[in-house]
Amino acid sequence: MLPKMQRRFLSSVSVSAGGSKTLNNGRWSVKQVKKSNFKSTLDEIRTSIDSSDFVALSLQNTGSYAAAWHRISAIDTPQMSYLKAKYAAERYQILQFALCPFSLRGSKLTVHPYNFHLFPRDELKLGMPSYSFSCQASRLTAMAREGFDFNACIYEGISYLSREQESASKFLSGNPILAEPVAAPSSPSTVADTVFVGRIRSRVKNWRQSCLDSSSKTGDDDLVSSLRKLVLGSEQYGSRLCLTIDVCSERQVQLILEMLTEFADDVVPLLIASKSGGTQAVRAVFMSSKEDMDRFKRELQDLENEENRRLRGFREVVDLISSSQKPVVSQNYLSDFTSIHAKFLGPLPSNVDDFSSSLSSAFPNVVDLSQFMKEISPLSNISNLPAAMSSLNRFFAPVDVEVANQGCPIKLDESHQMHGQNAVMISQLFAKLSTIQKSDYQSSVQPSEDSYALASDQHASDENVQVWSKNSRRVSSENLVFIWGLAKKMTASTLKNVLQKSHNVFAQEFDVKLLDRSCAVVVFWQPSSSETFLSAVNNEDQLLGGSLRVMVAEGLRAAGYETYKRACRLGFWEADLADSLDKTLESSDTDLDSDTKPSEISWTSELAINFDEL
Amino acid sequence: MRRHKRWPLRPLASALARSRFCSSAAAAGAFPLKHVTRSNFEMTLNDLRSHVKAADFVAIDLEMTGVTSAPWRDSLEFDRYDVRYLKVKDSAEKFAVVQFGVCPFRWDSRTQSFVSHPHNFFVFPRQELTFDPPAHEFLCQTTSMDFLAKYQFDFNACIHEGISYLSRRQEEEASKRYDEESVDSVVETEDLKLVRLADLLFSERMKKRFNEWRSALLHGSSESPGISSGSTESAETVFYHMRPALSLQGFTSHQLRVIKLVLRKHFGDLVYIHTNDKSSCSKDFVVYTDSESDKENLMVSLLQKEAKDERKRVAERKIQSAIGFRQVIDLLSSEKKLIVGHNCFLDIAHVYSKFVGPLPSTAEKFVASIHDHFPYIVDTKILLNVNPMLHQRMKKSSTSLSSAFSLLCPQIELSSRSSDSILQQRVKIDVEVDNVRCSNWNAGGKHEAGYDAFMTGCIFAQACSHLGFDFKHHSESENLAQNEKLDKYINRLYLSWTRGDIIDLRTSNSNAENWRVSNSKYENIVLIWNFPQKLKAREIKECICKALGSTSVTSVYHLDNTAVFVLFKNSELVSNFLKLKQQLESDDGPVRILHPLSKILKGGNTGAADYDAYKEICSSHISKILFADQAETVGVKSRTRPNPKGETSLETERRENMVAVTDKASDLIDAFLANRVDVKVARTN
Repeated sequence: MLPKMQRRFLSSVSVSAGGSKTLNNGRWSVKQVKKSNFKSTLDEIRTSIDSSDFVALSLQNTGSYAAAWHRISAIDTPQMSYLKAKYAAERYQILQFALCPFSLRGSKLTVHPYNFHLFPRDELKLGMPSYSFSCQASRLTAMAREGFDFNACIYEGISYLSREQESASKFLSGNPILAEPVAAPSSPSTVADTVFVGRIRSRVKNWRQSCLDSSSKTGDDDLVSSLRKLVLGSEQYGSRLCLTIDVCSERQVQLILEMLTEFADDVVPLLIASKSGGTQAVRAVFMSSKEDMDRFKRELQDLENEENRRLRGFREVVDLISSSQKPVVSQNYLSDFTSIHAKFLGPLPSNVDDFSSSLSSAFPNVVDLSQFMKEISPLSNISNLPAAMSSLNRFFAPVDVEVANQGCPIKLDESHQMHGQNAVMISQLFAKLSTIQKSDYQSSVQPSEDSYALASDQHASDENVQVWSKNSRRVSSENLVFIWGLAKKMTASTLKNVLQKSHNVFAQEFDVKLLDRSCAVVVFWQPSSSETFLSAVNNEDQLLGGSLRVMVAEGLRAAGYETYKRACRLGFWEADLADSLDKTLESSDTDLDSDTKPSEISWTSELAINFDEL
Repeated sequence: MRRHKRWPLRPLASALARSRFCSSAAAAGAFPLKHVTRSNFEMTLNDLRSHVKAADFVAIDLEMTGVTSAPWRDSLEFDRYDVRYLKVKDSAEKFAVVQFGVCPFRWDSRTQSFVSHPHNFFVFPRQELTFDPPAHEFLCQTTSMDFLAKYQFDFNACIHEGISYLSRRQEEEASKRYDEESVDSVVETEDLKLVRLADLLFSERMKKRFNEWRSALLHGSSESPGISSGSTESAETVFYHMRPALSLQGFTSHQLRVIKLVLRKHFGDLVYIHTNDKSSCSKDFVVYTDSESDKENLMVSLLQKEAKDERKRVAERKIQSAIGFRQVIDLLSSEKKLIVGHNCFLDIAHVYSKFVGPLPSTAEKFVASIHDHFPYIVDTKILLNVNPMLHQRMKKSSTSLSSAFSLLCPQIELSSRSSDSILQQRVKIDVEVDNVRCSNWNAGGKHEAGYDAFMTGCIFAQACSHLGFDFKHHSESENLAQNEKLDKYINRLYLSWTRGDIIDLRTSNSNAENWRVSNSKYENIVLIWNFPQKLKAREIKECICKALGSTSVTSVYHLDNTAVFVLFKNSELVSNFLKLKQQLESDDGPVRILHPLSKILKGGNTGAADYDAYKEICSSHISKILFADQAETVGVKSRTRPNPKGETSLETERRENMVAVTDKASDLIDAFLANRVDVKVARTN
């Protein structure tokens, strides 16, 4: 007992001693990044990421789940956990993105904490990055209690576009785009085409001639030049002369571009996009010389790059993390990365395998801290970081924290500095866990060897769910039955008692857990019992009597795991699980899931569904 | 003492400071506006009661977190009134109200002017009741949030300090649930297993402490028997119902549960008691009992007397305080005052869904129900557009709130008291905040609900004066709402301003009629979605005309990029089109490829349905951004009308009758709108 105590004493001292150098009242100074200082911080972030071995991140969302049963629980297969996380990721908004590139040398942890304030600004009025988002009132209240500054977030948050949105918006930003060089003449032209081209050609010729004239003649006074402009319909693009040709179809665009190749020496065609996505007009810009043309093209390219950067906004940082290929450590793999994928990469695919492969192309190395934590300390709850940290105190794992980006210019009041602490804590926890595991932390860079790189873990298919506790029992999903429509509110134990007396199938061993206030799940430990029970409930006439018949008459309903799965797949995310299951049973949708095989679930009597937390 | 929670953020504090000092700096200060958050709500409510009681009318305005949950949920060309209602309903259900402006106006015969009391309430749907909370979620439209930010909306004030509320329905449910709960908690015996290390340590520690305390009690130790451990949790010895007891403070609910377990397991004579005292904060005791019978006595007396009555009382008080902002709505409703809004149908729908209960499923039911809560509502936008004289006065300029205000009430906007004879004729309006009256100020912040409500009220007062009201000879008892001059406009709201649909709240039958497209036309509409992208309305029209005849299609109108309405010449063509589509889809032969419709059907995902399907899609709770996704998710399959003739024609007839009746009732409006409508139709064609 004594040596153990001493060890514990030592470790806690070393943590606080390590911390006291850099932290103020147990807090690290985290660089707060907003719209105003984003651009200037970007280079610093790039260096921070490049010089670190890992990147820890933590998100602050406007919500997590709308109803108790939307939370991922032990009865969910990976696919269903994914569907639940997807549903949340698509609805809620990330308001803060705490990022902490860090490296670990021996017991010294070097961190570069940043905290980004995000807000989706629909600058192009096209519903991008998002048209709307959901907020959980209780979540916002909790954030307010922690001193979250909503004004700063909404007034000064950095906007962004996902990769897919950026490529889609290219045409829509309203800026003229340099036309792609025409490769080969398109399909044979009709008479109408020939007439059209001829008409445009003569117009361009006239205009070009006038441009040549005016560039040679310098003595024109303003009045004459503006009159000439008026007559010829010539306009100016920047300092250059141009001619705008309105078009009605993409075919006409093609024809005009082909025709303009005749004047390729001093005329550059630009495409003007319309709001609905097509091309509205072709703008021919007159170049005074070859150098002028190069300069013009360069200017245009710069303009486009600048515009793209502006629109991309915060995603630049996500791209930096992604291109650095550094392992990313997060507290909750599924919820964090479904959010990141949905906001910064593109729409979430409909099944978990596609998601994993899509994600791993952007983030090849992902470390799920909760998974890692379970290996070291199976009973700890990762959702509370300080608690998780203190639960590790029984191990001797000293970690010295040093904040590297000290030169942060923002020295606001204390309340501002506290945001983004979680990412530092995650890196600290990770450092501790790696030290405890005594594994060389460098090896974790290779995801294939690592048990906690969940990206590969997720591939383990629906068949097997990882056992996450010693006192869990595996159960096939076939043996789960959902029951709802109880006459009155009951606790799990009373419900169990009631069921025990209702039917002889309950003479065998079984378990009952409440999933939310409307619905409970019954676990049969005998293989065929679930079928017996289901057929008993669904064929009321054959019920010989007893209290089960009364319960069914009073509205008791039951369904197998397949119905639950279907409810998630069809997106019946009602507030009460009972309503969702009712709706699923009503829906005539008969297209079957590709995998109808039963899946295995680990049933833990304590951890499975902790109703207190719902 | 009032619990006064200070928020740490400076902008909010300064915002409130602004509101507090503005009235004193009346010379040229900011617009005097009473900002109300939960810290000064109760106090303000008392003042507001008397203001509303004395008022001639009350202007309201709301700021929301958004308006449309998807682009196609906006008011569209072919929205029938019932569809339009569904869209408003969707908006009111999904978005939150963040600011509520209430501005009572009273005619002061002494100063010959109106006295207004502009209030700006910050509202936030905070969950005040902790038990089994209904998942409270709301949507934010990014453009609306940006818009609010542009007008310096203080989100911190709203979320940190906004006043919460319960609707009537929620209140009923809450008290019902409290009743259930109190029954449960008596019967329920929890079993908690100690699995976590921390719990085990804690239980051991507590066991030791209780042992010490108990033996100190029994053997009369000189040391004062109390337990204090750490800084937050403490236990001191008190007397509870004549028995020595430990009062537990600062423990988490989980720790208390562990304590309960420890007591049950190891101490037969110590009883755990949970009470709620009058200040509604709960207390926990560990009580020593002499014997088993004493324990029994204690339990029985507690369970029966205290637990039931006390819990109920506490529950009621909690619910009462959770009602929050709804008290203002109840006040407006019970005083039956004339409510003035500007283009306020959405506002009224929000008020209904937030403070009364879930919105009824149809416009008819809504109309029938709203009358019980707000018998008199007048919309200044209706007034300005429908009254020919006022409309002329608007000089064809926009009837948006701010432009109407600057046109009708320039003297208030500029706060000029010049001797200009024209300005002299205008209605005089003073502002009174915190008993300080002032008549000079700078223009207030637009799109701040309190100021918007004030502007609306000013417009109404001025409009009334133009209509010939003589406030100077206006007697106190006279009810503005029953004045015949207003009769034509009262309780008529724009269901859709852009389309000129007016809903009449006076009758229980809906007669919100569509003035643009007569009802029978909706039967000629087909909805097509998920056609190949980049297909333009014109091309779709060409395709269908090739297939069904050159005059078959009257017009094609985009809902969004993924869907169109096609208006056919008659309803027969609708079923022909849907049948043809079905045939083509089941056909694999060359006909399918060569048919003119194949251009639309290319890709194989194109959906089509009649107008009822559109209504069904709009009634769904789901809101996908693209209409095509929405139609697929709601699961509307392509279908033809089951019964193209027969009952529908009867229906049409009935509707047409109704139109005729309402036409007579409102010749003026009709003629006026018809005039305006013609102009619009000409433009769209």
